[in-house]
Amino acid sequence: MTDSNLAESLKELEKLLIEAEDGQIDEVGYERIRELMKSSPIVRDHFVKWRMMSAAMHLEGSSGAGFGSGFSTSAPAVDHSFSVSDRSDRRKLDVTGKWRMLLAIAATGLIMLMAGQWLARWSDVARVQPPVMGDDPGADVEATSEGIALVTRLVAAKWNQSTDKFAVGDALSPGRLRIDSGFAQIEFFCGATVVLEGPAELEMQSSTMARFRSGRLRAQVPPAARGFQILVDDLKVVDLGTEFGISLSPDSADVQVFDGEVELHSPSEDKMRLLAGERMTRSIDGVVDRSPSTPEQFVDIERLDAQAEGQAEFRRNRWQKFSESLRRDDRVIAYYAMDDDQVWNRKLQSSVLPANPDLDGAIVGAARVDGRWPGKSAIEFKRPGDRVRVDIPGEFGSLTMAVWVKIDSLDRSYNSLFLTDNYERGRPHWQILDTGQLFFSVRVSDDRVKTEHREVTSPPFWKPSMSGQWLHLATTHDVKARTTTHYLNGELLSREVVSENQVVTPTRIGKASIGNWSSPTKPDAKFAIRNLNGSIDEFILCADALSDDEIRQIYENGKP
Amino acid sequence: MPANPSSEPRNAFVAVSPDEFFVQQIAEHQDRLFGYVFSLVGDYSRASDVVQETNLVLWRKKSQFQIDQPFLPWAFAIARFQVLAHVRDRGRDRCLLDAELVEQLAQTVQQQSEQLDSVRVALRQCIEKLSPASQDLIRRRYYRSTSINDMADSLDMGVSAVKVGLLRIRRRLAECVEARMASDEMIGAE
Repeated sequence: MTDSNLAESLKELEKLLIEAEDGQIDEVGYERIRELMKSSPIVRDHFVKWRMMSAAMHLEGSSGAGFGSGFSTSAPAVDHSFSVSDRSDRRKLDVTGKWRMLLAIAATGLIMLMAGQWLARWSDVARVQPPVMGDDPGADVEATSEGIALVTRLVAAKWNQSTDKFAVGDALSPGRLRIDSGFAQIEFFCGATVVLEGPAELEMQSSTMARFRSGRLRAQVPPAARGFQILVDDLKVVDLGTEFGISLSPDSADVQVFDGEVELHSPSEDKMRLLAGERMTRSIDGVVDRSPSTPEQFVDIERLDAQAEGQAEFRRNRWQKFSESLRRDDRVIAYYAMDDDQVWNRKLQSSVLPANPDLDGAIVGAARVDGRWPGKSAIEFKRPGDRVRVDIPGEFGSLTMAVWVKIDSLDRSYNSLFLTDNYERGRPHWQILDTGQLFFSVRVSDDRVKTEHREVTSPPFWKPSMSGQWLHLATTHDVKARTTTHYLNGELLSREVVSENQVVTPTRIGKASIGNWSSPTKPDAKFAIRNLNGSIDEFILCADALSDDEIRQIYENGKP
Repeated sequence: MPANPSSEPRNAFVAVSPDEFFVQQIAEHQDRLFGYVFSLVGDYSRASDVVQETNLVLWRKKSQFQIDQPFLPWAFAIARFQVLAHVRDRGRDRCLLDAELVEQLAQTVQQQSEQLDSVRVALRQCIEKLSPASQDLIRRRYYRSTSINDMADSLDMGVSAVKVGLLRIRRRLAECVEARMASDEMIGAE
């Protein structure tokens, strides 16, 4: 091996090790590392040094709190003032500390065993609960927030441009927010709630401030959010804990206070106070007029609530009707509408008609929660054991899987939507990668044949800001056209042609899990734990590849 | 290893029973055992499990241990068997190192593990020298075992940018640690 070859090998090894340590490597990558290591003792040395450094860093991170803290004080506490000259003193301290501690524990080796078991359990917990972003009080740098406000409600909202569109649950970053008609309720992180009535434009500036460009808004500012500001032209409306409205047209600005008081700052005039029931109008030529307020002109949260309820009811009825037709569709081989079960019921009733109780699912661990509509249930998957077990007999060709899902976060390398227990020839696996890509595969080989299947992944569709939103995901697998197609919210994400030898018929399901993968007994927990962190409301499995239009209909008729 | 610290009242330790001595040895060498096992297993929680299994086996076999024999080589030998058992149980697919490589690396890993304390001292000093942002990356990834994807999310960086950053910092740390350890050895030789 030449020197330059060797240098290349070492670089390649380091890159692969970064990924291997992160669990983001497949068998091909592993094989490559082994190859590299077998090629030269220098590579092996390099590998060991790398690993030793990782070990040292892990120990640094856990000294005091994690590994070994049960009884070992041999990990010196992190001490930034540590210098070579005081090392010998330090060493003495460590050793005396150790002796003192040993006095306490050495009397019985049992404690040692208990500590061992406790640590083993602790590391299990650590493994199945990866650290949650921003959840670490010891973080030097806190996770940056995804935005400054949240969209919490939309009623009959319409947009002129699709690029303006936003959805309930969206985290809003600084920038312009436009709505053409309808209402949007925005909750600023400071605690202020704004109802925007279209057509309107609001420029989000921070969690406590926005510039209002046009339209009508009503703001409700609880005491905790006092100081919330809306900028209007050269006016600054500072809220002192109240409820107020602003209407802005090309030729006048109208500020009204319904409750509490606001301060108006403008460069040309003294600070002005508006009290409850007062209204200030300023025309384009600067004429200021004061008059009583007219709160009925501004939709408040309560009325918005009533309108939203009306909308929700309408949509729920629409879905119900559509769902009825799905239940009788011959192509539907399994359907869980999740709408007619009691909260305590651990059976997930099959919705296929005529009824077939054999298709009922069993809810394990997972909780029933509210689904897309209040009173409509969904299944929430949180813990590694949570799942819905189903057994779907039969042999099929093309397949369609569709689901309404609310993803809280993608914690696992593979986040399960629907996985057959065994991954044998003809069995499909449908999941989401932690990169936010939808993943579908049908196993091609059996255990003896080495031609591996090729999964079809969509481009990444998931952003953490979508957390908590109901999304519609669908994938069709067409064995005739040899295509696999992924959809998000009724729209095509990607379509890929699958090579002929990658198409397997028949496809089979058999025993399977919704929201998880049933191999908890596998020793390799990293591979076995694939539970979804989120909720599923409605799952459809069809023995046919539905068309683009049919997928869109499922979305349109099911959106909350 | 220093068994009798002179700064403590001696009488408390005059009669250390074999069990006490054994427990003390295991406690003393936990980190080195972890370094040894981690180097071969490569995953924090799995390595922790194997170390715990090793502790139990050491405890069970304590009667075979001769008090005048050095503890660490004996413990490493048992740890190696535990690692091999772990690799075998999981099947080759899921472990980076196969049995052959474990055997091949064992000697080097053992030497390196014995030096783990000085690696840590050097490492701490080297990390201090990094920029705050680089320190933050290292702490997230290795102190708190945050996945690269989560780091990318919370730092608003691309996944590949995080990987490249980690790679760069790791190289710098490796150079720094090596240089420090080399200079320490020279001081020791004087």
